[in-house]
Amino acid sequence: MGNLTGLLFAGGLGFMLLTLAGGLDFGTPPMLVGSEIQAHAPQQTGAVNIVTSVVLGYRAIDTLGELSILFAAAVSAGLILGRRHTTAGTQTKGGFILYTGGSLLFPLMMTIGFYIIFHGHLTPGGGFQGGVILAAAFFLPLLARPGARLHHKTLSLIEGFAGASFILVGLLAMMEGKAFLQPLLVQDTLGQLISAGTLPLLYLAVGLKVGAELASLLSRLIQTEAPQ
Amino acid sequence: MTSVFDPELILYTTAIGLITIGLAGVVMSSHLFRMVLALVIAEAGANLMLVLAGYRWDAVAPILTSLSEPAAMVDPVPQALVLTAIVIGVGIQALAVSLLIRIRQRYATLDRKEAAERMDSEIAASMGAARDVSQDAPLGERPLPPIPADQVNMRGGDAP
Amino acid sequence: MNAYLVLTIALPLLGAFLLPILMRSSIAIALWSGPAILIYGCWTIADIWLQGSTQPISIAIGGFAPPLGINLYIDSLALLFAFAVQLLGLIFWPFTLDQDSARRQSLMLLLVAASTGLALSGDLFNLYVFYELAAVATFGLASASGSSAAYVATLRYLILSGIGSVLTLFGIALIYSKTGTLNLAHLAQLAPAQLNDELGLTAFLSILIGIGVKAELFPVNTWVPEIYATASTRLSAFLAGLLSKLALLIILRLLLLIFHQPEAAQVLLILGILGVVSGELAAWRAKELRRMLAFSSIGQLGVMFIAMALPDGAGVLAVLALAIHHLIIKSGLFMLAEDWGGAIQRLRGSAKMAPLGAALFVLFSLSLVGMPPLPGFWAKFTLITELAGQSEPLYLIGLAVFLLATVIEASYLFRVAAILYQDAPRETLDHEIPKNEGLSLVTATLFGAGLIAAAVMIAPVGDSLNTIAVQVQDIDLYISTVNPGGSQ
Repeated sequence: MGNLTGLLFAGGLGFMLLTLAGGLDFGTPPMLVGSEIQAHAPQQTGAVNIVTSVVLGYRAIDTLGELSILFAAAVSAGLILGRRHTTAGTQTKGGFILYTGGSLLFPLMMTIGFYIIFHGHLTPGGGFQGGVILAAAFFLPLLARPGARLHHKTLSLIEGFAGASFILVGLLAMMEGKAFLQPLLVQDTLGQLISAGTLPLLYLAVGLKVGAELASLLSRLIQTEAPQ
Repeated sequence: MTSVFDPELILYTTAIGLITIGLAGVVMSSHLFRMVLALVIAEAGANLMLVLAGYRWDAVAPILTSLSEPAAMVDPVPQALVLTAIVIGVGIQALAVSLLIRIRQRYATLDRKEAAERMDSEIAASMGAARDVSQDAPLGERPLPPIPADQVNMRGGDAP
Repeated sequence: MNAYLVLTIALPLLGAFLLPILMRSSIAIALWSGPAILIYGCWTIADIWLQGSTQPISIAIGGFAPPLGINLYIDSLALLFAFAVQLLGLIFWPFTLDQDSARRQSLMLLLVAASTGLALSGDLFNLYVFYELAAVATFGLASASGSSAAYVATLRYLILSGIGSVLTLFGIALIYSKTGTLNLAHLAQLAPAQLNDELGLTAFLSILIGIGVKAELFPVNTWVPEIYATASTRLSAFLAGLLSKLALLIILRLLLLIFHQPEAAQVLLILGILGVVSGELAAWRAKELRRMLAFSSIGQLGVMFIAMALPDGAGVLAVLALAIHHLIIKSGLFMLAEDWGGAIQRLRGSAKMAPLGAALFVLFSLSLVGMPPLPGFWAKFTLITELAGQSEPLYLIGLAVFLLATVIEASYLFRVAAILYQDAPRETLDHEIPKNEGLSLVTATLFGAGLIAAAVMIAPVGDSLNTIAVQVQDIDLYISTVNPGGSQ
């Protein structure tokens, strides 16, 4: 009975919201800010990918905030799950194919991950996407060989220094007399691999941080499973 | 609102449908893990709603291809916002899962009512009881109570 | 000089990232770096305050003029709360040293950075990001006590807060779809023309419920008694004292700048009344001091929502006065409760063992109820005069509920005070009676001293609050300071 009322309520709410959303002009957004950004982004940030210039330029502090959220989640998970790791000796090994496949894929995934990070200002992709691939590269061997362990100390070093360097790049701009997190433009050609001033550096920091954060989160989760 | 098969209405229906399904799921499910999953669904709906806010007909992805004559591009801002929102969601989900693991280890159940009842009785015990169950006792690891073998696979043991 | 204000957000984040690494190489440096960062933050804000310029300023982050980039909007109110965040972060700093110190201090720094961002940011989505950061840091700190009950309470809080963030995101998506901007000043310009309809109202309600989770708004406050009972008292004091006020502040800003519909105010009024009724009744029934304080803070925030619902910003002064008053009182009371855990009946005879603690409790209670010379009276008096001046019946109901709540409040607070001053049962040994001592008593005394100072200087304090309230209501000033789109 309670479920039925719940469903009816949810359905009613959904219908109401839908009627509202139907009133929006879909496909012709106002783009007040959007079109301004499109017009100015290449000159102001030097990035061809305008989403990148929004993520690392116009809304860089949002990105800093979300890195901090990921960091806070990883630290909290560490607090909750603790440092003790169960001995993985009892767990069954993955098969030969899985194991070899994981090892073979590792360098490939690293390459793709870094490629995506370094081309974040040119093509779709960037620090987050590349970072996730990096984390997957480290995580795959872990799945294939449950006994293996990630080096948490190194991971937390990367986490800390990558996050700190994002802020330090921002502070560097302040020391040059500009605003916090203002992109430092080096005169270069738009669309080249080495262009867009400090943005690729920021994306590298983002990618490393996301990769280290996710890898440590996942390995923590997998290692605290099964307390028998 | 002309017809149900209007493309715009389908997209909005998907987004709002995901949100309502998710919210209803959170309210109605009796298993903590399913509540977290329902939350993930609702978040996906909200993210879709956000990305729809910047869509334009006949426009390309916001990446400059030729400097001389830029084509019409979709709004880049919502895409950046969604990127942020997704990462935030991932962090919160990972945290939720690690809490779930611990609760499962301590209580040997993830049933919503049962966990809430045991929490309530634990809080009540700590309030009525003597000083030695201080809330601010030294933090950190405490030994896990063993999970009785016969309870491991009882209600709420594993996802259905 | 003003540009350094952004450091009050950036430096705590930097410290949080580096603390776990520092802790491994040098514990001494690591232990002092957190407090040092917070002291620097206090100093920076106080420095700007002392410069004496009351004109609000807007700092564009990344050098991108709003509305393209994100800006910090700094007026007296924002400065006041940013200062309170840094100071309370210092006061409630988790000094305990064990294997998890680095993590807890990191999370505390993240919480401080997020709260400062909430006080200063002038962008809707940026507020959402800082709000989520504060939420995640809170989850970590709340579960740090390691008890099973804390884990369940945190997970339930996380799920509720997740619902809130979905709704907030939905509201933001609606607003962006309609207006195409996220800057608060820009939205304030566009709102009368574009958001003055059902869509705007829906967006407001979504965001209200979303942000309301932290502001202990009526239907989404079930986490309050659970978290305050399982988390450390210092965290509870920070959450009840400060973070709830920051969420309130955001709702106030949104209401004043963007959402002018009368329906929005009515919803706030009704939710506020329900919050007062449910909170105070539950507090009256509570048998434990911390639980009582948790429920009473729901009631107090309900009162602030009632004040916020007054039309044309008439209640802004009352909201500010109540909020700051409650910030001091609740922090102090929670610090007293740190040593007074357990059933209230066990506190008999505490007054003899800890006369200062008991006296402070009576002082805080008197001010909370609204005894004339104390600041609480003036805060409540402002609200009563404003409410009584309204002609709509709903406001008069609000007034009646508010007065009734004061009576209930007095009844349960003085019940505790009476127990404190009773003689202990004869068979109880002296050391069994809980008494306040050490750091928590010192902190509570600090808040008590602040309260008395405010009572003595009530005229200048009232005047400066009034100036702040007038400044907050000045929408044109907000818009012209940020100047969205003017500098293209």
